Amino acid sequence: MATHVPTANGTEMTGATSLVKSLEAAGVEVMFGLPGGAILPAYDPIFDSTIRHILVRHEQGAGHAATGYAQVTGRAGVCIATSGPGATNLVTPLMDASMDSVPLVAITGQVPSAAIGTDAFQEADIRGITMPFTKHNYLVTDPAQIPGVIAEAFHIATTGRPGPVLVDVAKDALQKMTTYNWPTSINLAGYKPRVKPEAQAITDAAALIAQSSKPVFYVGGGVIKADAHKELRQLVELLGAPVVTTLMARGAFPDSHPLHMGMPGMHGTVAAVTALQKADLLITLGARFDDRVTGKLSTFAVNAKILHADIDPAEIGKNRHADVAVVGDVRETITALIPALKAALAKSQPDLAPWLRQMNSLKSTYPLGFDMPEDGSLSPQHVIQRIGQISGTDTIFTAGVGQHQMWASQFISYEHPRTWLNSGGAGTMGYGVPAAMGAKVGAPDATVWAIDGDGCFQMTNQELVTCALNNIPIKVAIINNESLGMVRQWQTLFYEGRYSNTSLDSKRVPNFPMLAESMGCVGLACDNPADLDKTIEKAMSINDQPVVVDFRVHKDAMVWPMVAAGTSNDEIMIARATAPDWDSQEL
Amino acid sequence: MTTAPRRQHTLEVLVENAPGVLARVAGLFSRRAFNIDSLNVGPTENSSISKMIIVVGVEGHSLEQVIAQLDKLISVISIKEISTDKAHAVNDTQPDYQN
Repeated sequence: MATHVPTANGTEMTGATSLVKSLEAAGVEVMFGLPGGAILPAYDPIFDSTIRHILVRHEQGAGHAATGYAQVTGRAGVCIATSGPGATNLVTPLMDASMDSVPLVAITGQVPSAAIGTDAFQEADIRGITMPFTKHNYLVTDPAQIPGVIAEAFHIATTGRPGPVLVDVAKDALQKMTTYNWPTSINLAGYKPRVKPEAQAITDAAALIAQSSKPVFYVGGGVIKADAHKELRQLVELLGAPVVTTLMARGAFPDSHPLHMGMPGMHGTVAAVTALQKADLLITLGARFDDRVTGKLSTFAVNAKILHADIDPAEIGKNRHADVAVVGDVRETITALIPALKAALAKSQPDLAPWLRQMNSLKSTYPLGFDMPEDGSLSPQHVIQRIGQISGTDTIFTAGVGQHQMWASQFISYEHPRTWLNSGGAGTMGYGVPAAMGAKVGAPDATVWAIDGDGCFQMTNQELVTCALNNIPIKVAIINNESLGMVRQWQTLFYEGRYSNTSLDSKRVPNFPMLAESMGCVGLACDNPADLDKTIEKAMSINDQPVVVDFRVHKDAMVWPMVAAGTSNDEIMIARATAPDWDSQEL
Repeated sequence: MTTAPRRQHTLEVLVENAPGVLARVAGLFSRRAFNIDSLNVGPTENSSISKMIIVVGVEGHSLEQVIAQLDKLISVISIKEISTDKAHAVNDTQPDYQN
């Protein structure tokens, strides 16, 4: 928590002014929101505040923008909405932020305290609604509590395992006079996150690693949250074992590094999936054994021991028993593990060469790839790959959810943390555009591309108006296959090609370039491979306005490899009905 | 992820005496598919703290997982497993296994 000198302490003011002063004291620079009746008193002091308020077109956009901002900066994102429908429109972003451990503080107005429980106009029990997917939440009816609650909210959101916190404030608490008092310390009896790992756990972890001949680093999003990428690289190079980075951890370890086997999971590489399956030890760092990574759990990495390092003790043993558990901040854990492992390796150094040879053989035999469409139309994978190559590795990418998201995770090379933002746990279609808006606000000098689908884009594109009016020049690539592509892929594979309600006809309606132009953006289109590079370069050359490019791609392209839902990772397919040639591999 | 037969455990849980805390605890058991066999809430000598006695039916989850998830609630101050013969402190006064 930023500790601004609370010069206003002891001053009489309204609850609304106290709220805004508290947000300033918490170090907030930007918030995304939309006013309404119950929150209106707070919008009057916001008018005079040093905090930049960005007026969105839908509260969901405010929530995902705050998430994008938080993911890029590592600081808490802030969104603000009114009671009732304003607050319920934040429900999806809060659930999204909870699943992906994003530090978020959401402020909502509530009806006056005397009206609570009467089904008043625009009344919704947003504290009750958001209990399952906030780290904590508050309903404030006494204005004297506002500074203390705001200080606690930022503390809880940003420490331990990060997560969203909602603060619901009754309208009368905003209107009444109060004495402002920013707290000097926070003491929550029920919240003492463990940051420093136990020394014994580190010793045990190092010993387990030094005994292993087929270890693999299973790296999750926690490594990015903890800013532990540099320490991770040191640890990996010390041991010389293969690395996999999950969907939430893309960029935590450079894709170009020879020890990187790629992404594991349902659409992971053969090398990454097999590394986990055949390992004798998973060195699990800030990852949570999600079903999209493990496949059928009972068949996941059956011969592997588990070293599980996580800041959240409830993740230990939740899905998979841990042989050694290390609870703590993953950067502290890795920092402590490096000297401990050096000492352990000095006593016994296992020969990892045969294991690495097997993994490198798989990596070179089964690289990610795709076929160009035979009819000469645009390949979606090729479009995404060229955007990545042309815009470079300092670019920040966001994605919606579906095929384009998987291709963006596969065919863009991530070299740096906080350059890949997506909705991993929640799978929120519509995340891409507002998250890109928040990312660009958090990193105004970076190029920000939203790789979106035509389905996702039609859920939240109205925030392009916000971008156009607030000088937030993001770039959006619509990978337009005129369908809900991932659902269609499942229909192709598992429902005999019965395409029930997955055709969007988005090459006919809407006209995306015209839609973009109507929202104050530059609208481009491309449907010919010969025009691909120059279209991307045109988009790259426009930096004073948002740009939307309608890439009209082949609609039958599928995401491979694939482990079908509910099956074992051993049944990975590299193309339809095509398994890797295991007989030729020594495993 | 144990598949041991169903066992009952009794937890003594100190919580903040604040509106909504019962809903937080009950909601957690519901959404994580943990079983509550019985639940009692009463006051303590400290008016800002209430005591819950929860009898948990453990089936398909470990007791450790139930306790760890319960401990994540900010409103939960401490958790003790109690039984007839001995009181086993799982997470007493200075809980460091918290998040």
